[in-house]
Amino acid sequence: MNDQLLAAVSQYGAPALFGIVAIAAIGVPLPITLLLIVAGSMISQGAMNPWWAIGAAGAGSILGDQAGYAIGRWGGSAAVTKLGGLFGRPAGMRAMEAKAKAWGGPGIYITRWLLSPLGPWINLASGTARYPWHRFLFWDTLGELTGAAVYISLGRFFSDRVMALYAVLGDLTWAIAALLAAVILGWQLVAHLRRPDAG
Amino acid sequence: MSQTWRRTLAVGLAFVVAITGTFVFAYRAGRRVRHIRAENEPIRAWMSVPFIAHAHHVSAAALFQAIGVQPREPHDRRSVRRIAHDLNRPVPDLMARLQRAIDAAAQPPGSHPR
Repeated sequence: MNDQLLAAVSQYGAPALFGIVAIAAIGVPLPITLLLIVAGSMISQGAMNPWWAIGAAGAGSILGDQAGYAIGRWGGSAAVTKLGGLFGRPAGMRAMEAKAKAWGGPGIYITRWLLSPLGPWINLASGTARYPWHRFLFWDTLGELTGAAVYISLGRFFSDRVMALYAVLGDLTWAIAALLAAVILGWQLVAHLRRPDAG
Repeated sequence: MSQTWRRTLAVGLAFVVAITGTFVFAYRAGRRVRHIRAENEPIRAWMSVPFIAHAHHVSAAALFQAIGVQPREPHDRRSVRRIAHDLNRPVPDLMARLQRAIDAAAQPPGSHPR
C-alpha cells in the first residue's frame, strides 16, 4: 500500500499529500516522513509548489490531529478503547494520558515531528486528559508546520537521494528515542542509588 | 538480593541497552550521511520516470525512450508500476530497462561498458 500512496503523491501532488497525512495523523501507520521528503524532491523538480506542499501537509496533519483530540475528549472511553485497539495499542492509554499531562505543550510539539510515532496517542490522551483545546491547537499547528517545513526542505536539498535520506532519518529517530530513554533511565537509576535503603 | 536491588539492576541494564542503542543508531546515521552522495538511488515501482531521471541526472526523454513510452502531455508523472500496468508488461522488466538506460547514460561516449 505504501507504494500506491507514494505513487499517488508523485502523480497528484498536494491534494493527495493532504488526504494521506490527515489519515496518518488519526493513527494509521503510514510513511509520512518519506512522503514529505518525496514532496520536497518534487518541488526541486518543479513539479510541486513549495507553499502548497507545506500548506497541504500542515493542514492535513492538523485536521487529523484535531480529529484524534476530539475523539479523546468527546468520544468517550469506548471510542478511545476502540480506536486504540484498531491500531494495535489497546492498553497503555492511562500511561500516555499521564505523559500528555506531564509533557504539556512541548510534548505535543515534539511528538508532531521528532517523535511522530507517538503523535496519534498524544492526541487521544490530550483529549481524554482534557488538555485545553486552544493550547493543543497552538502547539499542534506549530509542531506540524515545523515538521512539514523541515522534512520538505530536507527532501528539496537532497532531492536526488530520497531513499538514502529516509534511511538516515530513520536511524536518527531511533538514536533520539534511545537517547531519550537513556536520559529517563539514567535519572531513575540515580534516584534509586540515592535512596537511603539502597546502600 | 533485595527487591530494591533487583529493580536497580533492571533499570541499570535497560540504561546500558539504551546507551548502546543511541551509539549504534547514531553511528549508522553518520555512516549513511558520509556515503549519501556516493550511493546510487535505487529504482522503485512507485517512482515516476521524471523522478528517476532527476535522481540519476539523466534526461526523462531518454528514459521514456528506453522503455518505449511516448510521455503524456504536459507532464507524465505516472509511476513505473502504472506504466507497466498500462503497457501490460512486468514491472521488473521496465525497471531493468530503466537501469540499463541509466548505466548507458553514465558511460562516457565511445567507452565500452565493463
